[in-house]
Amino acid sequence: MKRPIFLIIALSIVFGPMASTPSGAAQEQGKEELKLQLPKPMFIGTPRNINSPNLEKITGKPRGAFFVPAGTKLVSLNKPVIASDMQPVIGEVGCVTDGEKSGEDGYFVEFGPGKQYVQIDLKTSQPLQAILVWHYHSQARVYRDVIVQASDDKDFISGVITVFNNDHDNSSGLGIGKDKEYIETFEGKLFDPRGAKARYVRLWSNGNTSNDMNHYVEVEVYATPAQ
Amino acid sequence: MNKKAFAGLFLLIVVGAAGLRLADLSLRPMHHDEANQALKFGALLEKGDYRYDRADHHGPSLYYLSLPFARALSANTLAALSERTLRLVPACFGIGAILLLLLFVPLIGKEAVLLSALGLAVSPVMVYFSRFYIQETLLLFFLVGFIAALWRYKRRPSWTWAAAAGFFAGMMYATKETSVIAFGSIAAAFLLTSVFKEKKPGNPGGRTWMHLLIGLGTAILVSLSLFTSFFQNPRGWLDSILSFKVYFIRAGEAGFHVHPWHYYLQTLAFSKSGSGPVWSEGLILILAAAGIVAAFRRTSGAEADRSSLRFLVFYTLISTAAYSLIPYKTPWNILPFYLGFILLAGSGAAALLKAFRIRLIRALVFLLLAAGFLHLGAQAWRASFVYPADPRNPYVYAQTCPGFLKLIGRVEDLAAVHPDRKKMLIKVIAGPYETWPLPWYLRRFDRVGYWTDAAGAGPLEDAAVAVTDTEQVGRLESILVQSFQSEYYELRPNVFLVLHVRANLWEEYLKSRAER
Repeated sequence: MKRPIFLIIALSIVFGPMASTPSGAAQEQGKEELKLQLPKPMFIGTPRNINSPNLEKITGKPRGAFFVPAGTKLVSLNKPVIASDMQPVIGEVGCVTDGEKSGEDGYFVEFGPGKQYVQIDLKTSQPLQAILVWHYHSQARVYRDVIVQASDDKDFISGVITVFNNDHDNSSGLGIGKDKEYIETFEGKLFDPRGAKARYVRLWSNGNTSNDMNHYVEVEVYATPAQ
Repeated sequence: MNKKAFAGLFLLIVVGAAGLRLADLSLRPMHHDEANQALKFGALLEKGDYRYDRADHHGPSLYYLSLPFARALSANTLAALSERTLRLVPACFGIGAILLLLLFVPLIGKEAVLLSALGLAVSPVMVYFSRFYIQETLLLFFLVGFIAALWRYKRRPSWTWAAAAGFFAGMMYATKETSVIAFGSIAAAFLLTSVFKEKKPGNPGGRTWMHLLIGLGTAILVSLSLFTSFFQNPRGWLDSILSFKVYFIRAGEAGFHVHPWHYYLQTLAFSKSGSGPVWSEGLILILAAAGIVAAFRRTSGAEADRSSLRFLVFYTLISTAAYSLIPYKTPWNILPFYLGFILLAGSGAAALLKAFRIRLIRALVFLLLAAGFLHLGAQAWRASFVYPADPRNPYVYAQTCPGFLKLIGRVEDLAAVHPDRKKMLIKVIAGPYETWPLPWYLRRFDRVGYWTDAAGAGPLEDAAVAVTDTEQVGRLESILVQSFQSEYYELRPNVFLVLHVRANLWEEYLKSRAER
């Protein structure tokens, strides 16, 4: 197959800057629309069939060290969990805090489609130092509208602190978030609650790039003891 | 079996096959390969432009045979084409392959033809790839025709069967150059069949030579016409021969599609992936084994029947070995050799039904066969309608994810609020393997450019929308963070595309959503 790469590059160098002409602008007298010749896609054979986990190179670097105050401990292990969908499609709600982080089948809970949350009760209000979440990591995925909230109110009506929100189009209706989407990996995603004091942590998601379901392998909340 | 019963049952099978092949053809997102083929066909449809490419995409028959379908459905441009229009082509040839089995009636009998037709109609792999806009089902159709015509000629030599065999052979070659594997297997099977023949073959007479010339001439004329774009590209036919080197190297080299020798047989016999269901076409394989036994039993049928059955045994074994030994494997390559298994399975099932004289046992065998074929049909339904793009389906291979269509939906929504509508500038900056099937889905947009590297694409800020692979995201990070809103979409499992929307367009889009 011919790959007109040189032609593509040459055309784009020549015509690339011209493409900046705002086509919506009013037409000036004596001028005409510049017809741009954009490069065509290259024809190519069947791509690789990837079924094994995490084979494709994912952008981003390994997470560096994250520093927390001395005395910070894991406070979420085996703590009670409730969810917007108390009858998961696969698994048990309790596996969110059971300490098992394997990406294999049997270690995650699957909630129904669309907007769903899980909520962890830490039993006491304490300064939160880190929240680490694994949605699913046997396959690279991006979860939609990931929103992490903390509060002392179990109903999340008052005193709600938003730790993270990447719902950039407000499709979950909890406000537009400015945080970026991210690809799930075995490292999990670390959210920084910056010492916010709370008893409850609520995590939202709204499907993912593979399907409309919501998954959790594990959530870990780290905190310093309440003063 | 009387003629009416045979006709009624055969018609039922064809109707069932049509239901599985024609329903909801746009359900599965376009595969990378389908989109490549669709754009190639689009060029032929719009400009009459087709030149055989010896490096890829196989022969021209798919494109030329798509023309009447597109014209009949008033799709005269690439933009007017739909997934349904394109996939109607393989679907109809898939149904046609079943109809062509009627040519085997004098060779293997009505019962065996009926059961083979049933196998072909409900085989999950056959149904799945009959709904896939690539060459394989067309190759299958012409292969059925070629084998049938050859044997009909052998049974009663005439110039018409010689010409028919030549036509089907020419079309096979014009469909896929790799049909030489099937030709080789057929030739070897003929040779072996003659060894087992009880009467020694006579010397070919003058008329046989004439028929051979007619057959060869027809095959050459058909393939020459198509490969040369009806004599507009004289090099086409020569290039098709030179392509053997390309495919020979590809078949043996280590690459994306290298699988162990047992890949095809294991896929057919038993497969289960993760939490997915079990898939098996084991019934066909077991019945084919019964067909092999029947072919070599001295008591079964006339000599002519046994010869054609033995031929099918040798063809099936040789072609399966050939395809299995080639390191390059993709699931759609199952079709040409699996046809042999299905024909043998039909003969095996018919032999089993005849073998038992006690009515009760025969009824039990019939019930078991009915349950087995029903199970195959249920799997075919599951493969094509429940798991059409799910990697847990063994025939799903490098398939575009359904979630990818949300990217296209988003681009459509953005165009609706952009002042230039579908003339807004879209820059796609991605490797060729990450580009497809975007060109198919963006075919109705007027200003889409495709680059493999950001360096060649000019300033990114010019674009209303950019689509990049994840590798480019790192390179363009500073621009993207400042001026674009980015979203990830899954192209294939573990492969992402990132949609970048210029900030002012994103604001407009959010406003329009709020107003709704």
